[in-house]
Amino acid sequence: MSKPHYDREHHVKKATGVGDPQCFKGEAGKARFKVGDRVRVKDLPSLFYSRTMVYTRGAECTIAELVYESPPPEDEAWDNCENPEWFYSVIFRQKDLWPEYPDAYSSDTLETELSERWLELV
Amino acid sequence: MAEKHKAAPMVDEISDFEVLEIAVRELAIEKGLFTAEDHQQWSEYMETVGPLPAARLVAKAWLDPEYKKLAVTDGVKASLEVGIDWINDMPSHFGTPSDYCNLRVLEDTPTLKHVVVCTLCSCYPRPILGQSPEWYRTPNYRRRIVRWPRQVLSEFGLQLPENVQVRVEDSNQKSRFIVLPVRPEGTDGWSEDQLAEIVTRDCLIGVAVPKPGKTVNDKRPIHPAINPVDH
Repeated sequence: MSKPHYDREHHVKKATGVGDPQCFKGEAGKARFKVGDRVRVKDLPSLFYSRTMVYTRGAECTIAELVYESPPPEDEAWDNCENPEWFYSVIFRQKDLWPEYPDAYSSDTLETELSERWLELV
Repeated sequence: MAEKHKAAPMVDEISDFEVLEIAVRELAIEKGLFTAEDHQQWSEYMETVGPLPAARLVAKAWLDPEYKKLAVTDGVKASLEVGIDWINDMPSHFGTPSDYCNLRVLEDTPTLKHVVVCTLCSCYPRPILGQSPEWYRTPNYRRRIVRWPRQVLSEFGLQLPENVQVRVEDSNQKSRFIVLPVRPEGTDGWSEDQLAEIVTRDCLIGVAVPKPGKTVNDKRPIHPAINPVDH
């Protein structure tokens, strides 16, 4: 039986001298959301790996910036780089994340980045 | 009594992850991916990387509005001017020590204060800030700063008025962040060197704000003992 061949270097070859996430630029197609859109974080099941924090699930937020294109971590964890997505910087009101957050500080916010599959228009 | 008395261990217990690191490192050396000397050189090199380039970036941005615009829109390009090439330099070189090369510079205003955390584990802009402080990696900081940011900041000695919006940046994807704080009063006419001195690592993470006279090389406070030993 011949030895299976695993290509363990495709990512390093692609990213060296270009950078990651820069090496995925232009691969995600048209972005579904634009700056200023109100979106909600979907509560998708986390199978094995995810970077979408539980505290953000189901909360509404605003798109602040389209930051880069990259395979989502759920795919990349398994070395699957075939479906890059747009990543968005989103801003939550702290009050929307933690209902008991003090009213005196209702202007406080939290910003994080999420990939397109996790977001839906409100 | 006597048999119960145990000598203190000579070394601290090491964690499973440290054991894993040693195992992988030794296998990699055996396989010839790198040598033990390479590894030592890299580890020692990493210890020399510190927050000075980021402090310099902030000082330059305070002095030059054009550079500030560049820093806020393209942190990777702005880093080149302070000697950090995220894409090609040895420290980043795409793989190490930061796997991702998308630096974002978060600009504070008099009514907006950023503070950076990674709730996932410990994402940190290492090429430009060096190794993260121990507290930054603790679950305590990571879980509390997103939920009670003002309380945690006040533990760092930073109390912010109600009209300042606190924005926690949860840095858990491919961007890395530094904070560009507001230039403090009392620094008119200062040179870039003088300004860079007051931009400490904590200011760049966002848990402190720069103050004239408060530098990295400050003298540590020494308090006389309350009950001094009489020799």
